[in-house]
Amino acid sequence: MRRYGSAVLLLLVGGAVLRISLFSELYLRYVQAALRPYLVISGSLLILLGLVAAVRGMRQRDHEEHEDHEEHGEHEEEEEEEGEGEEAEHDHGHSHSHGGPRIAWLLTLPALALLLFPPPALGSYSASREEAQRAAQGVGTFSALPAGKVLDISVAQYSSRAIYDTGHSLKGRTLRMTGFVTHGSDGTWYLTRLLVTCCAADATISKVEIRGDEADGAPQTDSWVTVTGTWVPKGRLGTDGAWPPVLKAAQVEQVKEPADPYDKR
Amino acid sequence: MRVQNERTVVDGLRLAVRAMVYAVVGGAALLAIATVVSVLGPMLALDLYTPAVAAWWTVFTAVAVQGVPFLLLGTVVSAAIGAFVPERVFTKLLPRNQALAVPIAGAAGVVLPGCECASVPVASSLMRRGVAPAAALAFLLSAPAINPVVLVATSIAFPGQPKMVLGRLIASLATAVVMGWLWARFGREEWLRLPKRKQAATSSPTGVKAFVAGLQHDFLHAGGFLVLGAAAAATFNIAVPRSILDIFTGSSWLSLLLLAFLAVVLCVCSEADAFVAASLSGFSPAAKLAFMVVGPMVDLKLIALQAGTFGRAFAFRFSSATWLVAVVSSTLVGWWLL
Repeated sequence: MRRYGSAVLLLLVGGAVLRISLFSELYLRYVQAALRPYLVISGSLLILLGLVAAVRGMRQRDHEEHEDHEEHGEHEEEEEEEGEGEEAEHDHGHSHSHGGPRIAWLLTLPALALLLFPPPALGSYSASREEAQRAAQGVGTFSALPAGKVLDISVAQYSSRAIYDTGHSLKGRTLRMTGFVTHGSDGTWYLTRLLVTCCAADATISKVEIRGDEADGAPQTDSWVTVTGTWVPKGRLGTDGAWPPVLKAAQVEQVKEPADPYDKR
Repeated sequence: MRVQNERTVVDGLRLAVRAMVYAVVGGAALLAIATVVSVLGPMLALDLYTPAVAAWWTVFTAVAVQGVPFLLLGTVVSAAIGAFVPERVFTKLLPRNQALAVPIAGAAGVVLPGCECASVPVASSLMRRGVAPAAALAFLLSAPAINPVVLVATSIAFPGQPKMVLGRLIASLATAVVMGWLWARFGREEWLRLPKRKQAATSSPTGVKAFVAGLQHDFLHAGGFLVLGAAAAATFNIAVPRSILDIFTGSSWLSLLLLAFLAVVLCVCSEADAFVAASLSGFSPAAKLAFMVVGPMVDLKLIALQAGTFGRAFAFRFSSATWLVAVVSSTLVGWWLL
């Protein structure tokens, strides 16, 4: 393990990165879509580095076997110094020639998690812990919405137009949104979606209260639904009274969790 | 002859018995462990796998996954500097006078388009190539804060407020330069523990070999600390509800300090922190500025990376001093500009 430590770690991390970015779309649970090419490149590079390390380890073993009876300890080339302060004081070069730094074994945690049980996308738990943030923007007019009978719109887009648009671009439109279900305290339920800018650590939430006959049988928390309905004006634009925005549902449909569980900015 | 034969038979028998005992005892133990684990494991795992734990794992892996490409970019640049760029290039490029070299190195941070994970390995390889630590540290602080990607992200997050972008640029650059000067004046060599490995490696093997070896080592090393930082960030992300922020929005002083503290524990990537800052409604612009100035320079992930690269004695002194300087400079810039 000592000789192949670096190789094993690099292959594990590279494999984990490629598994979520190249062979599936799981990376969308953790980071934004634009990072994919970089993930694929870094995954491949890590695999390559791991193979180089493995070849070097094998060569070194042959080398050692050949000269084993001659002199020991001389061919510990390319000594790698350990990272921690205490290790630096040691007489290094004997214990860890190719195992890589010991702290690096922590990398197995996320790598194995991604390879074996990829953690789920953030859902209602994270949404409940953070009050939905209103996008920081002033009241104003928005660009016109595209024409069409039913308009697909993101939850974040809907909220900001419902709260800040003095042009009332949502008025009279039939809108369709997808998100997961969260429940309020008094029997209300919300269509919720998290918005991720860079990675899941910076998730912010937007939610829309769903009303109407169709909404009576509220779906289960965390189930994904597509809601079609119309805008219900509420409160004065740009104030706390306008929030959270409301949608009168005509149709609520259970759907599968989309590949990209987060809203795009 | 017969005695010898008997001895080999006895030896063989003893070996066989011993092997059987090992197999039975070990097999039984293995079987027992396997049964217990396969029965209790899922129960225990399901019990422990609450939504909070699931969210922790998601944030933890997200920070790590997000950091990998940037860390690799940083280690590629740093290994390339270590293996291919001769020392005299830097001594020629940077003025000998440290007081002059610091602002130049700080301004040079514009060229490394990445988040803070990339800057630590690069700064360390600069030091190994003979760049004065004060200048390399100014670069370390400014690179993740003032590169074009971050500034564009800031202008998108604060539409119609170009002063926010300008304020971020000025306050971050000022912090980096002041910290460089402080190090030049008060810093001590013994706090800084630089890996000496590179000197040994570059003297013997050729450039490419040193490049690959440096890349492997630096990535694994920094990657371990990235995981450590990711775990800390995920823990705070789950443990500190952001709704407590509302308590502090009343006092502008407290809110500035609170956001500066939050930037340390949340470890939001410098390319995303502007959006997070913009979403923190109810805080003064100066507090948001402090969040964006502190974040790329001091956070848990970065402290872990620095402790790994430069030693713990350095990381804690440097990070706390940087935090103070960053708070002061964003207060001044916020008061002047915003």
